[in-house]
Amino acid sequence: MMDTDFANRRRRDLIVAFCLAAIAAIVPLFVKDVYVQNIMVLTLMWGALSQSWNILSGYCGQISLGHALYFGLGAYTTTLLFTKFGVLPWFGMLGGGVISAVIAMGLGYPCFRLRGHYFAIATIVIAEIGLLLFHNWDWAGAALGITIPMSGDSWLKFQFARSKLPYFYFALALACVAWFVTWWLEDSKWGYWWRAVKDNPEAAESLGVVVFNSKMGAAAVSAFLVAVGGGFYAQFVSYIDPESVMGFQFSLLMALPAVLGGIGTLWGPMLGAVILIPVTELTRSFIGGSGRGVDLIVYGGLIIAISLARPQGLVGLFSPKRKEAVR
Amino acid sequence: MTAETIIQSLASGLLMGLLYGLIAVGLALIFGLMDVVNFAHGEFLMIAMYITFFLFAFFAIDPLLSAPLVAAALFVFGALVYLLIVRFAVRAKANAGMVQIFSTFGLAIVMRGVAQFFFTPDYRSVTHSWLGGKTVSIGGIFLPQPQLIGAAVAIAAFGGLYFFIHRTDFGRALEATREDAGAVALVGIDKNRVFALGWGLGAALVGLAGAIMSIFFYIYPDVGASFALIAYVTVALGGFGSVFGAFAGGIIVGLVEASTALLLPPSLKSVGIYAVYLLVVFVRPRGLFGSI
Amino acid sequence: MTAPLLETRGVWQRFGGLVANSDVSISIGRGEIVGLIGPNGAGKSTLFNLIAGVLPPTQGSIWFDGEDVTALPAAERCVRGVGRTFQVVKSFETMSVIDNVIVGALVRNTVMRIARRKAHEVLEFCGLGARVNVLASDLVPSEKRRLEVARALATEPKLLLLDEVLTGLTPIEAQTGVELVRKVRASGVTVLMVEHVMEIVMPLVDRAIVLDLGKVLVEGKPGDVVRDPKVITAYLGDRHAVGA
Repeated sequence: MMDTDFANRRRRDLIVAFCLAAIAAIVPLFVKDVYVQNIMVLTLMWGALSQSWNILSGYCGQISLGHALYFGLGAYTTTLLFTKFGVLPWFGMLGGGVISAVIAMGLGYPCFRLRGHYFAIATIVIAEIGLLLFHNWDWAGAALGITIPMSGDSWLKFQFARSKLPYFYFALALACVAWFVTWWLEDSKWGYWWRAVKDNPEAAESLGVVVFNSKMGAAAVSAFLVAVGGGFYAQFVSYIDPESVMGFQFSLLMALPAVLGGIGTLWGPMLGAVILIPVTELTRSFIGGSGRGVDLIVYGGLIIAISLARPQGLVGLFSPKRKEAVR
Repeated sequence: MTAETIIQSLASGLLMGLLYGLIAVGLALIFGLMDVVNFAHGEFLMIAMYITFFLFAFFAIDPLLSAPLVAAALFVFGALVYLLIVRFAVRAKANAGMVQIFSTFGLAIVMRGVAQFFFTPDYRSVTHSWLGGKTVSIGGIFLPQPQLIGAAVAIAAFGGLYFFIHRTDFGRALEATREDAGAVALVGIDKNRVFALGWGLGAALVGLAGAIMSIFFYIYPDVGASFALIAYVTVALGGFGSVFGAFAGGIIVGLVEASTALLLPPSLKSVGIYAVYLLVVFVRPRGLFGSI
Repeated sequence: MTAPLLETRGVWQRFGGLVANSDVSISIGRGEIVGLIGPNGAGKSTLFNLIAGVLPPTQGSIWFDGEDVTALPAAERCVRGVGRTFQVVKSFETMSVIDNVIVGALVRNTVMRIARRKAHEVLEFCGLGARVNVLASDLVPSEKRRLEVARALATEPKLLLLDEVLTGLTPIEAQTGVELVRKVRASGVTVLMVEHVMEIVMPLVDRAIVLDLGKVLVEGKPGDVVRDPKVITAYLGDRHAVGA
């Protein structure tokens, strides 16, 4: 009986997600405004990135403030492979994902011995080293960055000058994939191990969970997805430099939607992105004017308020009786 | 590269290192006291620099004179941050780690936004202070006066802090609270008051550093970010919570930075610091002088 | 005679200058309930942690099920069949009761449906059937203890290590606990339980091992052990613990 309740809840999540994705897919057919479409692309992208960040930092509890590294690696791999070797971005994104996953595990090897704040600070520093190295790497454009040459609209090269729609659908697909991967892992041995590791590593170890491997797995999945997002972003803006894809603000921006919506939850990151990204974009253009910092005040304030008043995130507000309903 | 250049850059590295120590020690103090990392520490520095700047611009008070005022202002600010935000953040039951990190991060973002809004993103500087641009020559080695004074202030501050922690009642209360906050409550010490004063003291120290820094550094809303990372590295290197560790960590960071600048292009000078930091924490996860 | 399930051979543990265990050799037979007792600071917890694999002994070896497991970490020992509870409970606080137990069940079977069913069975067995979907943080202390036992049982251990599971419970709760331990043994699991207070465990165990100052002081039938003058001396000044 319990089992069917649980299975029903899982199925309901899947159906809701499918319906939301379907609705999202038809919105741009009616909303033609490029500015709004742009916001929608960014919202989906940050949702997807935050969902991926959430796997390591939310489920597994290893709060990373250095995911900009993987975002940047994805962007650079995709761009460099295309501009230097003519490799299509589709393969570039996958390649960036694989490289990032491998690097995440390599870095995890020493980093996962660190706990709490020590871990968070090490991740900031490592991403900063990456940033500095790219700044000085002439072959990769150094501080000047790389412009992706445009040669007309093409699905093959995944570049579109006139319409934002293809980017929108890719971002939607990415968000769906990130959500689905989370959904799928949530009820797998990995999902349970990660949550156990987050709550109490010692007890997890006593139950046969190899804590170190669990963290490595989470880091690899998380870095892979973030890097694919980075590859997409490079195509979307068609110009990258170290600051604009690997700067610390990206690490923060990846974390904030999850924090707002609910860290370590299935729906939190998407919900957070849907609220946060439009709010920041709108404040920036309507009140902020010439980038006078109002947008920063708004979302910094939001983050403080959420952290203090509702640390479990906003997601619970949408299904308050969930726990009881199962019983 | 002559021996003179090497000595020259190590000497300035040492001076800068002492200043790094002064920037970082407030962070170490607060962490040691209550296990909380203030992710808005860089913004505390930024605010201190702006206060110094405006005292100079409007009242023509030289940074050296305004330093105590800035420290006092930051003391109040730090205590308020504890009472209004951190006090509630440490009570969190759900997602405690996340709440601690992001509540102060949120504060950092707000402070940066406020600075941009009121002071604009423009770079400002204290144009003609008593010490600005002056150097002292000792045996052929040129040392900038602001850094020299900064180092002296840092040493004095560390000395004062040592005296304060070990010789005064409040210092002892601070030590006792960091050891066992539950037990001190039983002997009638108000934990919140001690923590608020600890935050005030930590902020005052970074205020002192900010006043000195404003003599020779540009002042802009994001100025805190670069120094904050160096401060975290300094503190993590020395061992979180160890005041002496911050002092030693600062010196190490200053010297490593200076040596890296000799060997690598200037834009890579921070890589040396970060690499040394990573090496240290991978071998000793709690830093050189960290306890537990 | 079949080989014992667990054996420690000349185990030493030093922390700096402090010797927590010196030359401890004990063996636990299959199907036994053995009590590991002793006054405060006797080295019970250290020995317990050595057996569970939290830390390696300074010297000596630990054999489990005919195999030298001295070098194996805790997770690996769990796979071999050592289950444990913690003296200070370590529930996964943000997870529901059932999810806590599923973590344990996953060691034997990674098919979620089967692990889930196993977890339900174990919770039913431990008398937590009605609390399945409650958050672990919402359980009362005695329930948390039982959750720890359930979690460990879900790993299908051959040997269950219980660290003061009965201490601090009300008499009625302790009685339910005693019955649970008997049921566990009846299901074929060997039990080693550490307790500080003798009177709770003596009626339950087949055999008692008394540690004092890091060494095995006496071992034998519970009735003989409580009357042993050496044990009485060791516990002297700790009268409360002797109880009856």
